[in-house]
Amino acid sequence: MFDPYYLQQLAIGLSLGMTYALMAIGFTLIFGVLNVVNFAHGEIYTLGAFAGLVLISATAPPIVAVILGALAIGALAGFSLERIAFKPFRRFTDEASLKSRAMRESTLLSSLAVSIVVREALEIVFGSQMRSVPFEYLINTPVRVGPVILVTGDFIIFGVAAAMLIGLQYLLTRTRVGLAIRAVSNNPLGAKYVGIDTDRTIITTFVVGSMMGAAAGILMGLYYGAVFPAMGFTPGIKAFVAMVMGGLSSIPGAVICALILGISESMATTFVSSGWSDMVAYGFLILTLIFFPNGLFGARRERV
Amino acid sequence: MNFRLLTLTTLTAAGIAGSAFAADTVKLGYQLPLTGDTAQYGQDFRKAAEIALTEFNAAGKPFKVEIVFEDSRSDAKEGTNIARKFVDDKEIVGVLGDFTSGVSMAAAQVYKDAGMPQLSQTASHPDYTKISKYQFRNIATQAQEGPYNAKWMATKGFKNVAVIAEQTDWGQSVVSGFSDAVKANGGTVAFSEFFNRGLKDYRSLISKIERAKPDAIYTGFFYEDGAQFLKQLQQLGIKTPVYSTSAAYSPKLIELAGGAAEGVHLTSNFLPTDPSPNVQHFVDEWKKRSDGAVPGQFPAQAYDAVRIMLAAVEKASPNPTREKVRDALAQTKDFPGVTGKTSFSADREAEKELVKVEVKGGAFVPVAD
Amino acid sequence: MNAFENAAPADGLTRRRGLLVPALILLLVFAALPALLAGFDKGYFYQIANLALIFVLLSASMHLVTGVAGLLHLGHAAFYGVGAYTAALLTSKLGLGFTVTLPLSGLVAALVAFLVALPTMRLVSIYFAVATLAIGQMLYLVMLNWVDFTKGPNGVIVSKGFELFGFSLSGRLGAYYTVAAVVTLSVIAIGRLSHSYYGNALRSIREDDQCADAMGVSTVRLKMEAFTLSAFFAGIAGSLWAHMTGYISPGDFKFSESILILAMVVVGGLGSLPGAVIGALLLILLPEGLRALGDFRNIMVGLVMFLSILLLPKGLLGEVSALRLVRRQLGAAWRNTGPANGKGEGIGWR
Repeated sequence: MFDPYYLQQLAIGLSLGMTYALMAIGFTLIFGVLNVVNFAHGEIYTLGAFAGLVLISATAPPIVAVILGALAIGALAGFSLERIAFKPFRRFTDEASLKSRAMRESTLLSSLAVSIVVREALEIVFGSQMRSVPFEYLINTPVRVGPVILVTGDFIIFGVAAAMLIGLQYLLTRTRVGLAIRAVSNNPLGAKYVGIDTDRTIITTFVVGSMMGAAAGILMGLYYGAVFPAMGFTPGIKAFVAMVMGGLSSIPGAVICALILGISESMATTFVSSGWSDMVAYGFLILTLIFFPNGLFGARRERV
Repeated sequence: MNFRLLTLTTLTAAGIAGSAFAADTVKLGYQLPLTGDTAQYGQDFRKAAEIALTEFNAAGKPFKVEIVFEDSRSDAKEGTNIARKFVDDKEIVGVLGDFTSGVSMAAAQVYKDAGMPQLSQTASHPDYTKISKYQFRNIATQAQEGPYNAKWMATKGFKNVAVIAEQTDWGQSVVSGFSDAVKANGGTVAFSEFFNRGLKDYRSLISKIERAKPDAIYTGFFYEDGAQFLKQLQQLGIKTPVYSTSAAYSPKLIELAGGAAEGVHLTSNFLPTDPSPNVQHFVDEWKKRSDGAVPGQFPAQAYDAVRIMLAAVEKASPNPTREKVRDALAQTKDFPGVTGKTSFSADREAEKELVKVEVKGGAFVPVAD
Repeated sequence: MNAFENAAPADGLTRRRGLLVPALILLLVFAALPALLAGFDKGYFYQIANLALIFVLLSASMHLVTGVAGLLHLGHAAFYGVGAYTAALLTSKLGLGFTVTLPLSGLVAALVAFLVALPTMRLVSIYFAVATLAIGQMLYLVMLNWVDFTKGPNGVIVSKGFELFGFSLSGRLGAYYTVAAVVTLSVIAIGRLSHSYYGNALRSIREDDQCADAMGVSTVRLKMEAFTLSAFFAGIAGSLWAHMTGYISPGDFKFSESILILAMVVVGGLGSLPGAVIGALLLILLPEGLRALGDFRNIMVGLVMFLSILLLPKGLLGEVSALRLVRRQLGAAWRNTGPANGKGEGIGWR
């Protein structure tokens, strides 16, 4: 009675959701600590993918080295991003500046400006066309599971996402660094008063989050076999939506919502034209927000 | 406001410098996306135009031609700004571009009023040439390519076909041009749908197509979307034959899709392997400028468009005016380009000869049927 | 900017001073600039001037929601699109002229905004932002995919230019004056709104919505009104764009346009109307002015944006300096009626 077609669509939706989740994890981590949207996260993802591609075409190293290279670039990019686009705006520590919403929100667009510069620079250096990844590196060999066909990359992405999630939960709840991150995210001034080096904590968060973004980028490059400067845009929006839907503070929540988004998109394709499938995903978001104004998994938090 | 003044003065200065050119220099405008998401196409067009221009100026003609390239980012705002700019420059007698139909259409509204001949290498909107007598295009329209492909598929015995295309004006014309012809031939269209350009995961769509059990799939996509579609088709183990349009005809399709592109059928009017000297000359020049890469369909169309425009300017000289260039363009007949012979019909559409091509052994190979 | 001309009754000296800046601006917009444009006789400059004015209106209308009420709006371009489509479809299907489509575009955009605002306006901060993003994307998808009604990606040709009750204004100068008049009137209206008690109520939502709620300000209703009003003006801008270019397609109203408008508001100085106007002028004129740089011009645009945010974090003309300007120009309205220690009740417009 159960059409294997729906199973296949479900599997595709899950795999699509996983690719969003991969990006959403780092995005949510960075949002949590500063409460500012990092518009440049998509560019970190693209940078990771290009770093991997350059490594592959230069020396053809084993795949692990490619990912390590992407991680290194991600860490560097995260560090520079924080220094360039976020640090300069934390020079005002007086209460008035901290509280003025106009003040805080003008800083958020500095990351947008940085992302424009990075994307345009990538276009000039690499051209805006899709660049192919050598086939021996691709992770899309088909795998048949019962009536459903997936590719190796789906399992790798699942594994990586799970590892990231568990690793991050461990980092956040079991280590001193994680404790500091949570403290800063909860109350930066308070954290400062009890002696936490907030600056260092914020940098650590950016480095960790950006490494995850870069890893997501190179994995997606290997998964889809194409790397291009605008590749971070769509997953960036989806990660943003998943994060808010999940309630901002909850990384597992963001992952679950990313999966919901993926599944709703692929299932929607069954019933409506593919062009409309995003409509279902956004409609779902609006419905969620109407009934759960703080997201699905958001704890009630003090509104700053 | 100061800023505007500043621009004004620099531009006037540039204008004065420009008029210092000798009278035997003719200017053309080319609006195309050199930055942004579609920059790869614009960059290719500029390369093709430069090849054509260098040849023309080296041929010892009585006058030299200069092309002004302006970046439109595939944005209608910037496209219309550029159009006004070109119209203002009294020395510009003809305009090429833009890349996307949307920008070409918006710019065409300006050229219509100004009486500036506009020749686009890619604008595929069905109403584009209907805007005024100044709009020309050097592209096989889907009203021509659709029935051609429908007939091709019918002779192969595919009665029940699926058709998908990107959700653009071009995609719309792909589906309508093809579906009507299939029905006229007595076939059925089992499935017809549009997807948003730049979709990454086609697997849901593919599963849905397969549920309709078509004999073959006809697709309207560019090479980026095409490569993803073909790869995911292969991943899902689907063997339904795929047919496509000349828009997917690019070496990048095979580069990106690899083995998954094998067996794809498409039409084209440009074959880099064609031994005729003008094609080989273009391919050689292209390779010199792009690290040995082979040109695809679009650069070839741009190359021809520029050469058609240059020929029209030559015909309209001495002292070419916009009106004379337009009339010369309209008279273009059997122009021997790299995309075959081109003539403009009475409604300024290019009549193209199409060739059937199949991907075999990692290369586009012309086939008889 | 033109908001300041509406000076409240004041003593002669302040009054004359107060009228100086707005009078100069009006003179610039309606006399000097057209004279200059006519002198150069370049369609290009008319085009840029009109485009810049349209984006001034878009930026000013977003200023109402994002600058004054402090709500991050990520879907503004969609309402601009709704307005443009209303004008285009009314023209192409019913043959109506600009005189009719202009107000209708604004009203339809406002109506759509009101309907989508009904369920979503209770949201706050980033939840509100992502809801507007979703609304914007959904409207864009409708424009793109509802082929039967909007003609989808084929776009719509708008065969009629500007006119007033049948009197054609489609010449260069006519079009410029039409755009300039509509934009100036709208910006004055927005200025009056944002520098009034109403605007102060909106600001209270921005600075602390819970507190405002507790003080008896109906935040949900105010947010809804601000959102609807800003959509109204965006719709007006859309109508101007449709009649100016003569052809619109969904690509003109995608997400990146919303971000562009947001960037204008922020670069100019969040919360300040003159800032929003200057931001729009900057981000429209800069890419055109930098054409000489070729492929590098957009990097420069990004850099200028970054530097202006970095060096002037309160914007080119931030709210505090903007308010100070207003106060100086319009001393009477801000003059304290109470004792000289400044604790009077004279803040705000009367």
